[in-house]
Amino acid sequence: MSIYLFIPLLPLLAFLVLALGGKSLGESSHKVGVPAVGLTLALSIGAFFSVAASGPISIPIYRLIEVGTLAVDVDLYVDQLTVLLLLLVTAGSFVVHVYSVRYMIGDPKYSRFFAVMALFTFAMVMLVMSNNLLVTYMCWEVMGICSYLLISHWAHRESACTAATKAFLVNAVADVGLGFGVILTLFTYGTLDIQDILAAAAGAGGSGINLLAWAGFEWMVESNTLITLCLLVGALGKSAQFPLHVWLPFAMEAPTPVSALIHAATMVNAGPFLLVRLSPLVMLAPSAMTVIAIVGAVTALFGGLVALTQSDIKRLLAYSTISHIGFMIFACGVGAFVVAIFHLLAHGFLKGFLFLSTGDSLWSITPHGSAEDGEEQRSTAPVAPSLLVGTLLLACIPPLVLFSGTYEQMWNVHDLSSARIAFWIIALGTVFLTAMYTFRAVVSLFQQSMVRQDAADSGLYAVRPRLFSTEHILSVGLLTALVGCLLVFLWSWFTAFLAPALGAQPGGLLEPSGGFSPWLVAPFLAAAGGWSLAWYARRRRGFAAVNRGEWTRTAYVLLLNKLYVDEIYDVCVVKPAIRFSKWLFYRVDVRGFDLWSRDLAGLSKDLAQWLDRTIELQAVERTVRQGASGLVSLSRWMWRVIDLRGTDQAVQQLGRINDETGEVLQGIEPRTLQHNLVVVVVWLVLVIGLLYGLVYGTA
Amino acid sequence: MSPVFTDHLISWTIAVPFIGLALLAFVRSQEWIRRIALAITSLAFALAVVLWSLFDASQPGMQFVERSEWMPTFNIQYAVGIDGISLLLVLLTTFLAPICVLASWKSIDTKVKAFMSLILLVEGAMIVVFTALDLFLFFMLWEVTMIPMYFLIILWGGPARRAAGIKFVLYSLTGSLLLLVGILGLYLEGGRTFDLLALAERTYPSEVQFWIFLAFLIAFAIKLPMVPFHSWLPDAHSEAPTAGSVILAGVLLKMGGYGFLRFCLPILPEASAAFAPVILWFSVVAILYGGCLALAQSDLKKLVAYSSISHMGFVTLGIFAFNSQGIQGAVLQMFNHGITTGALFLAVGQLYDRTHSREIGDYGGLHKPMPRFVVFLCVFSVAAFGLPGTANFIGEFLVLFGGSHTSFVRVLLAMGGIVLAAAYMLWMLQRVVLGKASTREAALLPDLDMRETATLVPLAALVFILGLYPGPLMELMDSSVTSLVEQTAEFAPADVSMLRP
Repeated sequence: MSIYLFIPLLPLLAFLVLALGGKSLGESSHKVGVPAVGLTLALSIGAFFSVAASGPISIPIYRLIEVGTLAVDVDLYVDQLTVLLLLLVTAGSFVVHVYSVRYMIGDPKYSRFFAVMALFTFAMVMLVMSNNLLVTYMCWEVMGICSYLLISHWAHRESACTAATKAFLVNAVADVGLGFGVILTLFTYGTLDIQDILAAAAGAGGSGINLLAWAGFEWMVESNTLITLCLLVGALGKSAQFPLHVWLPFAMEAPTPVSALIHAATMVNAGPFLLVRLSPLVMLAPSAMTVIAIVGAVTALFGGLVALTQSDIKRLLAYSTISHIGFMIFACGVGAFVVAIFHLLAHGFLKGFLFLSTGDSLWSITPHGSAEDGEEQRSTAPVAPSLLVGTLLLACIPPLVLFSGTYEQMWNVHDLSSARIAFWIIALGTVFLTAMYTFRAVVSLFQQSMVRQDAADSGLYAVRPRLFSTEHILSVGLLTALVGCLLVFLWSWFTAFLAPALGAQPGGLLEPSGGFSPWLVAPFLAAAGGWSLAWYARRRRGFAAVNRGEWTRTAYVLLLNKLYVDEIYDVCVVKPAIRFSKWLFYRVDVRGFDLWSRDLAGLSKDLAQWLDRTIELQAVERTVRQGASGLVSLSRWMWRVIDLRGTDQAVQQLGRINDETGEVLQGIEPRTLQHNLVVVVVWLVLVIGLLYGLVYGTA
Repeated sequence: MSPVFTDHLISWTIAVPFIGLALLAFVRSQEWIRRIALAITSLAFALAVVLWSLFDASQPGMQFVERSEWMPTFNIQYAVGIDGISLLLVLLTTFLAPICVLASWKSIDTKVKAFMSLILLVEGAMIVVFTALDLFLFFMLWEVTMIPMYFLIILWGGPARRAAGIKFVLYSLTGSLLLLVGILGLYLEGGRTFDLLALAERTYPSEVQFWIFLAFLIAFAIKLPMVPFHSWLPDAHSEAPTAGSVILAGVLLKMGGYGFLRFCLPILPEASAAFAPVILWFSVVAILYGGCLALAQSDLKKLVAYSSISHMGFVTLGIFAFNSQGIQGAVLQMFNHGITTGALFLAVGQLYDRTHSREIGDYGGLHKPMPRFVVFLCVFSVAAFGLPGTANFIGEFLVLFGGSHTSFVRVLLAMGGIVLAAAYMLWMLQRVVLGKASTREAALLPDLDMRETATLVPLAALVFILGLYPGPLMELMDSSVTSLVEQTAEFAPADVSMLRP
């Protein structure tokens, strides 16, 4: 048993303690969460050095499922890729935990918040460490539910609840893709062990799946292509890629630390991570890679353009996240997996930092009452520097983190020059857009034209202390910048470090050469261009896109409304689905399927009523009474006959008595069966006696 | 343990509820009736656990077999025995029964003796159904389960209980009639015996198999229920009292799936394989149809009821995949569905006890007044749509993987059913749990008390334990399922979707 088993185990334990006993811990809940995550971070750092020194570590835990030939083992596998992600996840989680200790004070669900954060940390750590696709899928979904629980943290707000449901459902749609991918992989390779799959991937080329077998046709698709596309669909949801990006902007309803950790730094990176993890498999499906590249490129540009038009700073950051993850996916699509991971790490740290400083600044610009009170504190001064640093970083000033490195060496998959050019255009476009909207956002924030809509929430907290001091935030920012610079200079080391985890890539990596390259000038120029355009638009009021003619205005309105994707889904998917199910219920189920059973019921009811009528006592009574009166008439007739024959007086009298008794009895309403029986018996006795008397008495 | 005990362990387990039934006749105090019912059902569960501990999972055949002549003229025996599959279902039955008693502790306050007697009767009958090795015995007790359910529905049910009860009986009777026809057909064709094991050893002409399978199919499809025969279920489930719904959803539906596994596959493998494509497509239809209808419901119990139809679609999808992943998945799905849907009915029942309303619109914002309840409701809801880490996920995954051997399209469509499940469950949660309370009373509802929590805790624990460590349950049925798959192997549909050049 390895000590690194505790990396996922500690957050899990923290979650269990908080979930079972959180109520009693109350506002000291962080005393469980923070040390656990801190220790996890320490262990992750240990794992980093251990892997750097002596290669991948494999930790088997237990066998989850064993049926026939199928066996699913919960194994951990820590290699170079994993440790890098582990560092991001645990460090991010730790910082956010510490930050939340103060941020969430006064929240009635304090312990729940920390419990779910711990569970999320566990799931994400397991996701990056898992060596089994099914376990990966499980963590993937558990992260989804954590995200759901945290978005709906302020459950009294309708918008938060809707956003949570929306986030989960959009992901559920995408997860069908991932789940199907898992099943296809299992079907193709007969195992879910990631290392085994990757080892077998090269040999499995050519095996195909007949997509139209059910219809009796043949349409063979190579399994690797199909698997990669399924993975992509999964990534579309979790990493908020076009056209399934709609949930992420709404997910900003979550408390800001959650947005920082889950919706910027970690969970949304799961898509690119998965593609990189399975990169040897992805490389075998060039046509799927083209699709990946197109989706990523579209998302990168779309997210950037929409971010330009947003006025809510958290939404702006959300679209920025969408755009940057789109870039990572795009990098995966063109085979530049190292770039994707590098960008993933840099962006994760940065975005998390930016969100936290946003949370801080939002706190300081929103009044300590409800927003309706109207009196805003306009003291942004202490926050400004930290945000500025963050912006500088996000704006990709080349010596700093993003978009640095020597791109021309990273990517040797497509030897097509057109792909290379496309990559550059998309990259520079993203840089340009990022520079523009971040500049705009920061300037707006200084000018107080942006007020976060959830300002009303701060009404929850009567007293909310200062979070980090400006110095802290600044120092964190500078540290990030420093690490970024280091990474730039360590680029060659980074590439070499990651190479074993990514497997042998066709064509091989070029010999990395460290240091600056002239190529870095291009992104710098793009960024500067973005900045100056934004500055120009800001200074010249008349420059607003609305005043720039029909075409620009249309584009602006379209982008402002995010291309109406949400509305299209609402009209074309959500509402019809509900309408269809109502129709199905009322027209088909109630009227259709119930009909024959109701007919059957009606028939049987009729049958029962008929039986009721026949067997009913009244019917019996009626029969008996009819019998009685029949007997009376019989005796009358007999009497008349006998009378005509001139029988003697005694018999006449007897007959008369008989007649009278009959009439008396007929007058009695027979009520019960017994009664009827008595009547019948008496009559029988009388009649038999009479006959007897007639036959023998006269003789 | 003495051989008298161990040799007749199944009979003891069966006898306990019936002995309890007799015992209750002499008790007058309502409180004591409840206590005795709880003790009896717990004892039955304890015996089932003993059965489990003595069960040898490595053996594929029937164990603890007991046989004695009953009506020798017709070759009818009292014969019981268990294999892994029946053991799981017996465990499920006996596990849910004490929970049902606990759940109706306070909500049933009229005719308590009758209520508890009916619960014990239905429990005993279901144990026999799951252990019977004689078709006549099986059929008799299959019929017996219907009667107490009918009375549970019409005596303690909701406002539309009469119609629901009659519908339930009509459907069940139709099913039983066909089951009887099928059983008699087997009896006549299979050498005049009702012995299940002897019947399974013979092979029958295709023509005969076809007709007998058709009779069985409709009988089990009504019980399960499969889609064209499902319309009794939403009414019966929603009108029955809480404990009745739990028994119905938790165990009674499984009799259909059990029937397929015990009669159709081993005795009539050829017809099963011939019918499989039709049944598989109907399963997919059931999954999607049930999901869609659940989305349209505004009544909490009906929502859960329609979700049952959707979930039972997975059971048939797994069974007729003819491979061990599919069948084990199906059995797991039956077990897990019993746990989660039973728990959902319990939770809804607890809400109903408070407000006497099943309308979703009457609730809202429950996270504030009832935090403990909300945790449970969320756990069971996410388990119901198969969130990984909860029990249902393993079953659904195995079923889907098993199903992928015959067709990917069906698998993909069935996964659409999971999305639908997530949609109706989360939408329900959003309207019931989140947001603001819709009425003043909804904002002031009392949270769960100790007894109510005690009914839900074991179910919630099981949901997670089975979701993360299903090994023990799967080992239990592994060899039984493997031998079942071997029996049907020669008829199993060919793998058509994948071609390896």
